[in-house]
Amino acid sequence: MIANLTHDDLIIFLLAISTMLILARIISELGKKMKLPMVMGELIVGICLGPTVLGKLLPGVHHYLFPLTTNSNVSLALDGIFSISVIMLLFVAGMEVQLSIVLRQGKAAITTGFGSMIVPFAIGFAAAYWLPSVFGMSLESSSRLLFALFLGTALSISALPVIARILMDMNLFKTKVGMIIIAAAMFNDLVGWLFFSVILSMSGQNHTSMSIVHTVIYVIAFGAFMLFIGRRIIDKALPWIQTKLSWPGGVLAMSLGLCLLCAAFTESINIHAILGAFIAGIAIGDSIKLREQARDIIHQFVTNFFAPLFFVSIGLKVDFINNFDAGIVGIILVLAYVGKVVGATGGALLVGLSKRNALAVAFGLNARGAMEIILGTLALNAGLISQPIFVALVIMAFVTSLTSGPLMRKFVEPEKIG
Amino acid sequence: MDYSKLKRRSSFPFETIGVAIAFSPRLESLLGEARILADKFGAQLLLMHIGERTRTKEAKLDELIRKLRIDEKKTRVIWHEGDPVNTLLELCKLNIVDLLIAGAMQKENVLKYYLGSVARKISRKAKCSVLLLINPVKEGTRFKKIVVNGAENPKTIHSVNATVYFGKHINAKSITVATEVHQDGLTMAMATESTVGEASKLRKEFSEDELNKVQGIITKVSEHEGIEISEKLIKGKPGYAIRQYAESKKADLLVINSPDVKYGIIDRLFTHDMEYILEDLPCNILIVHSRITG
Repeated sequence: MIANLTHDDLIIFLLAISTMLILARIISELGKKMKLPMVMGELIVGICLGPTVLGKLLPGVHHYLFPLTTNSNVSLALDGIFSISVIMLLFVAGMEVQLSIVLRQGKAAITTGFGSMIVPFAIGFAAAYWLPSVFGMSLESSSRLLFALFLGTALSISALPVIARILMDMNLFKTKVGMIIIAAAMFNDLVGWLFFSVILSMSGQNHTSMSIVHTVIYVIAFGAFMLFIGRRIIDKALPWIQTKLSWPGGVLAMSLGLCLLCAAFTESINIHAILGAFIAGIAIGDSIKLREQARDIIHQFVTNFFAPLFFVSIGLKVDFINNFDAGIVGIILVLAYVGKVVGATGGALLVGLSKRNALAVAFGLNARGAMEIILGTLALNAGLISQPIFVALVIMAFVTSLTSGPLMRKFVEPEKIG
Repeated sequence: MDYSKLKRRSSFPFETIGVAIAFSPRLESLLGEARILADKFGAQLLLMHIGERTRTKEAKLDELIRKLRIDEKKTRVIWHEGDPVNTLLELCKLNIVDLLIAGAMQKENVLKYYLGSVARKISRKAKCSVLLLINPVKEGTRFKKIVVNGAENPKTIHSVNATVYFGKHINAKSITVATEVHQDGLTMAMATESTVGEASKLRKEFSEDELNKVQGIITKVSEHEGIEISEKLIKGKPGYAIRQYAESKKADLLVINSPDVKYGIIDRLFTHDMEYILEDLPCNILIVHSRITG
């Protein structure tokens, strides 16, 4: 039997979406006045509307507006929206990866990026694999490996948009230090999300798990096809789309359509949909033919509609008070700082940066921001981590993002910039 | 080999002009161009052929030298066998060539582009300035409109000065120092956190900053009487934007800095910067090697 949204279901669904969007915007704008990232406001709204606050104070209102456990129709509809949201966020994350910037910075970007990934990955992997009980996990060996791989990856990524914003505010965006940070963060994003897709495929949630060899072959084949052949086709098609179809509807529909098509394809070959979206984002975003205005419109649409829904939804699903574990938070924070600062500083020193500028690069790359939260949510949904670990990752994402700017400012040497 | 004379050598004057000779149908035109440029710059001419030395080739070259009235006292011919690109570049270093002239197809076929033609490979690897002529004529190309890349790079001031030197000797009319503004980072940084006012203010400041930098370069340029110098901001990806601009402006010559890093196949697969230009030459190209990086 086909389940349809009833009249009442539709009202609840629309009320839920509108409440999330409006409150997220109001609180985020207030947060912005206090120099807090928008995503923090969105997450706070989720926590307030979810089981942590509203569920305790006004459980009736909470269950009526967000019947995630009591109304399967509304729950499924909301879940669909949240799934599309994360796919869109990964699409935009892909659009931010400019391979040309990474290649232009060459050895400096790759050495710094590699250092800033390998050390946190090793520290995270070792801690999770050999000391799972520290994180409240007692896992059998296969799950332990996946958990360890995930934690290593979670500690090694960086939040490109947060970093870009900090560099812009500090007027460092076009300096040598700034470009190394941006290029290394792009390298981190690229490697991190490819690796995370492999981990998700290995976890085999919702489908048969694949062998790691098959997964890696599929990931490489799909990536190579999209970046070598797909990108050329996009380069040929974009001028036609941007001039012959309605503006900006044409480019918006075709870009998002391609994103969903690639997401469907990777999901169908048992690699998570996020990989398809991410690679589609790189292929479109790196195109020389994509107009700045088109890029801006896609960014605005995704980051102002889908992103708030996604980040608010996190608070709806997780009780942040009951799942707060100071011990886990502390350990993850220490691992995050030590891994990133040691790895990135080492990488930056190897490419000839001064000690202070190397530390500035390291603290820049230490910002995890929204990317960490997306990664954590997907891992939580895939059953790779527990809710206390997820809460710790969210807190780590905020702390690293908020401290990134001031710490960079403390170490960067203006006289050596350029 | 002792290359100490090359280090820190200024990119101009052009005292020795090298010519990469292939016995193709365009040889006469290329030699004609080389003769005219050597005359204008008062330079020695070094004709280099990498390949088998045969009587037929010798006779052909002698005939062309006579026909084009190339000053034999100021001309040397070098015959050498080996890998065309590496041998040619080695000869350039050994003979302290300041400018290497080569003919180049405007656009290579896909396979040849990825594998790398001789002219493209020279452009990526040469340790001297390289002039790629897409349509050489034996009467000499008239380089009236010159566009030079004003990228934010320590090499740029040398390239602009070399362009002025080049322009004065070949009677150029105008030089445009064009700088590319790539605003992807702004979009990323401002997508969620900025109002329209903040975003446009930031974009404006970004552009003004770039314009000030390029104006700063122009003020540092040595004497350029007789040549009109202007600046231009162009939006788009580095390399691609200036290629488009040179094409739309119908420039006779596009001057760019030599690459900062070694370019390889990966740079062609994920095209960026100079590779956008080499992929489809918009006009003749002068790649200035300032030798400041050795």
